Amino acid sequence: MKLTNDHIDYIIKDLHYRGIVVDGIEDELIDHICSAVEVEIENGQKFIEAYHEVLKKFGHTGGLREVQKHSLRFENRKTKIMIRNYLIIAWRNLRKQGFYSFTNIFGLAIGVAACLVIVLFIVDELSYDAYNTKADRIFRVNEEIKFGGNHMVLCVSGAPTANAMLQDYPEIESTVRFRSYGTYLVKTAEGTQNIKEQNLIWTDSTFFNVFSVNVLEGNPKTALKDPASIAISKSTAQKYFPGKSALGETLILDNKYNAKVTAVYEDIPTASHFHFDLMVAQVGDWPVAKEAQSNAFLNENFNTYLLLKQGADAKVLEKMLPVFLKKYIGPQIASALGNDMTMEKFLSTGNKWEITLTPLRDIHLHSDRRGELEANGNITYIYLFGIIAAFILTIACINFMNLSTARSSNRAKEVGVRKVMGSLRSHLVRQFLTESILVTFFSFAVAIWLSYMFLPMFNNLSLKHLQLPFTNVTFYLVLVVCVLVIGLMAGLYPSFFLSAFKPVNVLKGQVSLGMKSGIIRSGLVVFQFVISISLIIAAITVNKQLNFIQNKKLGFEKNQVIIVHDPYALGKYSKIQTFKNEVLKISSISKGTISGFLPVNSDRNNSTYWKDGRQPTPDNLVSLQTWSVDRDYIETMGMKISTGRGFSAEFPADSTAVILNEAAIPMFSLGENPIGQKVTTFDWGHIRPDGSPDPEKTKSWTIVGIIENFHFSTMKEGITPLGLFLNKSSGNVSFKFHSGKTEQVIQSIERMWKQMAPGQPFHYSFLDEDFLKMYASEQRLSQIFFVFAGLAIVIACLGLFALTAFTAEQRTKEIGIRKVLGASVSSIVGLLSMEFGKLILIAFVIAAPLAWFGVDWWLKSYTYKTEIGVMVYLLAGAIALAIAWLTMGYQSIRAASSDPVRSLRNE
Amino acid sequence: MTHSSELLKGTLRTIVLKVLKDHGKTYGYEITQRVKELSEGSIVVTEGALYPTLHKLEAEGLLKTERVMIGKRARKYYMLTALGKSEAKQRVGEFIEFIKTMGVVLQMEINLQ
Repeated sequence: MKLTNDHIDYIIKDLHYRGIVVDGIEDELIDHICSAVEVEIENGQKFIEAYHEVLKKFGHTGGLREVQKHSLRFENRKTKIMIRNYLIIAWRNLRKQGFYSFTNIFGLAIGVAACLVIVLFIVDELSYDAYNTKADRIFRVNEEIKFGGNHMVLCVSGAPTANAMLQDYPEIESTVRFRSYGTYLVKTAEGTQNIKEQNLIWTDSTFFNVFSVNVLEGNPKTALKDPASIAISKSTAQKYFPGKSALGETLILDNKYNAKVTAVYEDIPTASHFHFDLMVAQVGDWPVAKEAQSNAFLNENFNTYLLLKQGADAKVLEKMLPVFLKKYIGPQIASALGNDMTMEKFLSTGNKWEITLTPLRDIHLHSDRRGELEANGNITYIYLFGIIAAFILTIACINFMNLSTARSSNRAKEVGVRKVMGSLRSHLVRQFLTESILVTFFSFAVAIWLSYMFLPMFNNLSLKHLQLPFTNVTFYLVLVVCVLVIGLMAGLYPSFFLSAFKPVNVLKGQVSLGMKSGIIRSGLVVFQFVISISLIIAAITVNKQLNFIQNKKLGFEKNQVIIVHDPYALGKYSKIQTFKNEVLKISSISKGTISGFLPVNSDRNNSTYWKDGRQPTPDNLVSLQTWSVDRDYIETMGMKISTGRGFSAEFPADSTAVILNEAAIPMFSLGENPIGQKVTTFDWGHIRPDGSPDPEKTKSWTIVGIIENFHFSTMKEGITPLGLFLNKSSGNVSFKFHSGKTEQVIQSIERMWKQMAPGQPFHYSFLDEDFLKMYASEQRLSQIFFVFAGLAIVIACLGLFALTAFTAEQRTKEIGIRKVLGASVSSIVGLLSMEFGKLILIAFVIAAPLAWFGVDWWLKSYTYKTEIGVMVYLLAGAIALAIAWLTMGYQSIRAASSDPVRSLRNE
Repeated sequence: MTHSSELLKGTLRTIVLKVLKDHGKTYGYEITQRVKELSEGSIVVTEGALYPTLHKLEAEGLLKTERVMIGKRARKYYMLTALGKSEAKQRVGEFIEFIKTMGVVLQMEINLQ
C-alpha cells in the first residue's frame, strides 16, 4: 500500500523534530522509512504502529542521529569540504561586516588597479626595441665634444664614421645610418594633394639586416640599394595606394624627388625608439645622398648604428675608439684649426672629444642627447613610478591590516568560542588567511575592472597604447601569485594576532583593544600619511614649476602669434614673400616674418664662430646658434634690442650683418663696445676634398645690434650664444594678430594658402601652444602625480574613515558616559579627532624633509626654477589634515551626537 | 537464526558491494530487503550501519548516486562506479579466501560451490 501525502508529511515533520536535518541524509532516511512502513502496513499494521516499529529498528532518535553523524563524518573528512567550510564562514563574515569589507575590498582594489596600470606602463617602457632579434649586438655611436665654452652631447656622428669603423674593426658585422631631414610633402605620381610626412628618414641598404623589421613585399636585401628607391610601411602603403600593391609605384617627395617603392614593411612596433613610415635610400645624387657619401667627420648629422659580430665585446671596441678619433678626426681638426693642432694637443688643453657606444635596449630609457630620432623615455620616471606603485600598494595593504586588527575585538568572542570548542590555533590562522585571500581575490577582480575602465584615461595622459594582456597566460599566473602573496602578507599579522587570544580572557571580556593597543596601527597610519603628504608636496611643486615656466618673462611675446608651417610648398622665396604680403593685408594681422627658426622648436643650427682677426683655436671658438630670419622677425616676436639696431631695408649691407644675443658678447670677449666689430666662421661652401673646412676661406659678419636674451630652449638649459642672420629661409611664416579674432585669422590665412598653393597641405600652430609642448612631459608628470597623489589620499582616507568608525563604535559607552556627565558634542568630536589628528601631524613632520629632498633633486635639473617656499609644505599639510578631518568628522559627529540613553542601556 | 552483529561487522562493505554488483541500481531499503531475502532472514543489515557505509563508499568514489523523485519523496539510488566494480570483485575474492582459511583454522571442510 502506498502512503498518503499526509503520512509522508507526518514522517518528515517527525524526523525534523528528531533532529534529522542534514541535506541528502534526510531525504534518504525518509524514503527508507516510508518504504519500510509501507511493507509493515501491508503486513496488517496501522500506520502509526508501523512507523514506530520501523523507528525501533533504527534505534529511535539516538540511532537516527547516529546514522546522520556517521554519514556527516565521512563527508567532512574530505579537504574540499574543509576549504568550502572556510570559504563559507569567510563569506558570511564579509557579508555581516559589509561596511568594513567594502572599504577593504575597494581600497585594496584602487591600490591594485593603480599598481597594475603602472606595472603595465613600466613593462611597456622596458620592452622598447626588444622586437629586434639582434638587439644585444646593436650599438649606437655617440659623440661628446667640449671646447671653449661649448659642450655638445650628441647621438649623431659624421657621415664617414660608419664606413671607417666597419673597415678598421673586424668585430663589426654591419652598420646603418639615419639622416633625418624634417618633414616632407609626399604625393603619388597621379595625386594632386600633398600629404605632410613626419617620419621620413634617409638610410642605408643595411637597415633590414640590422633591425628586425619584416618586409612584406619586395626584397629586403636589395630594397634600398639603388638611388631613388623608397621603402614604406604597410599603413603608409595603404594610405597612398589603397587596395593595390604599392611595389613599383612612384612617390614624389617635396614635389621634386621621384622615388620608386621597392619594399613594403610591417609597421614598426610602438615600443621602438623610431617609427619611420618612409625610408629613402641615401645613394645617388640627391643632396642628402651626396651628404651621406661625403668625407666630413666634423659635420655630425648621422645617427650611426653598429651591428657587432656574434661574441664581440662592445666594451673592448669602445676602448679602441680614441685611436679611431686620432686617426680620422684628428687630421680634420688639424686642417681646420691650423696644422699644429693635433688630437693630443686638442685634448690636453682641457677639451674633450669622445666616442661612446650605447646598447640599443638602453637608448629609450637612458639616452637624452642632441639628435635623438624621437623623444625618449626616462629611467628616472620608471623608478619614480615604480616607487609610487609600491607606495600605493603598501598603503592599501596597510589599510587591510589595520581594519582587520581593529575588527579583532568584535571577533575576539568568536575566537574565544572557537577555541573553547576545540579549534586549534592553526585552524584559526587558516580561517583568517582564507578570509584575507578571499578579500584580496575580490579586490583583484574589482581592480581589473577598474584598470580596464581607466586605462584609456591613463593612455591619454601618458601617450601610450597600453592594454590589459587578457590573452596572456603569464598575466593570470602573475595575478594569482599576487593574490596569494598579498593575501598572505596582509592577512598574516591579523591572523596571528587574532588567533593568539586566550579564550579565558576573551570570554570574560578582558581583551584590551581600541587605540591604546594599536601602536603598530598608529605607526601604519603615520606611514600612510607620510606617503600621501609627500606625494601632495611633489604634485604641488611640479605644478608650481610649470606655472613658473608659463609665466616667466621669456624675452619674446608668445601670445597671438600664428605659425604657418612648410611655406616651401608655395615655391620660391619670392612666392613666400608674396604670401606674407598678401596675408598682411588682412585687417586683424599686424606683423609677419619669414624665418628658419622659432624660439619654441627643438630645431637647432649650430656653427662655430670666432672673433674676427684671430686664429681659430679651441679656446676662442664659440658655438653659435645661427638663425636665418628676415627684417620683421624681431618686431613680430616682440624681442627687444638693447644696443644698436635691428635689420633694416635702409642698410643694404645688412646681408653681412649679425645681431647677437647678450649671452654671446662675453663669449667672444668683444669688450666694451661690440657694435661694429666682426665675427668670423668657416665658409662651408669651400671645403677641402677630405671634407674639412679650409681655414683660408672664411666669412665675416658685422655686429649691428645686440638683442636681449630670450629663452629658446627649455628652462632646463641656460641661454646660449645666438646670432640672427638676414637670410632667405623658408622654414616658417609667422604672423602676429589681434586678440579675439583667432577663428577668422585662421580662415583667412587658409583661404590665401589654398589660393596660392593648391593641393598643398595647410598646417599651422600657435606660438604659445608650441611653447607649452616643450613642457609636455612636465605637464604629463604633473597630471600623473596629481592622479596618484589623489589615489594615495583616497585610499588612506578610506582606511581612516573605517578606523574612526570603528573607534567610535568601540567607545560608544565612554561617549555616552561623557555626555551624561555634561560633555558637549564639540568636545567629544575634538576628542575623537585628536587621536588621528596627532598622527597626521607626526606624519607631516616626517614627510616634510623627505619631500624636500625629492623636490630639490628634481628642481636641480632646471636652470630656471621656482622658489619652493614654506607655503607649499603648509598647504600640503593643511590639505592632508583637512581631508583627514573631513573623513573623521562625519564619524565623530555621528558618534558624538548619538543618544546616550541608547549606548548606556544594558540590553 | 540471525547472525550476531559482531560477525557481520567486517563483512558489511563486501555485502553491500556484492548486492550492488548483482542488482545494479539499488536504494537503501532495497539493499536491506535483498540481504534479508538472500540470507533467508539470518542476516539483518541495520540501518544504523548501512547508511554510514554507503556514504563512506560514495566518498571513496566506489559508488555513484542518482536521485529520483517518487511522489513527495526523493529516492537515492546507488550504483557501482568502475572502481567500485573492481573493488567488489576483489572483496568477494578476498572473503572467499578468508573463509577457506577459516576452514583450515577451524579444521572443517567448507564446500564452496
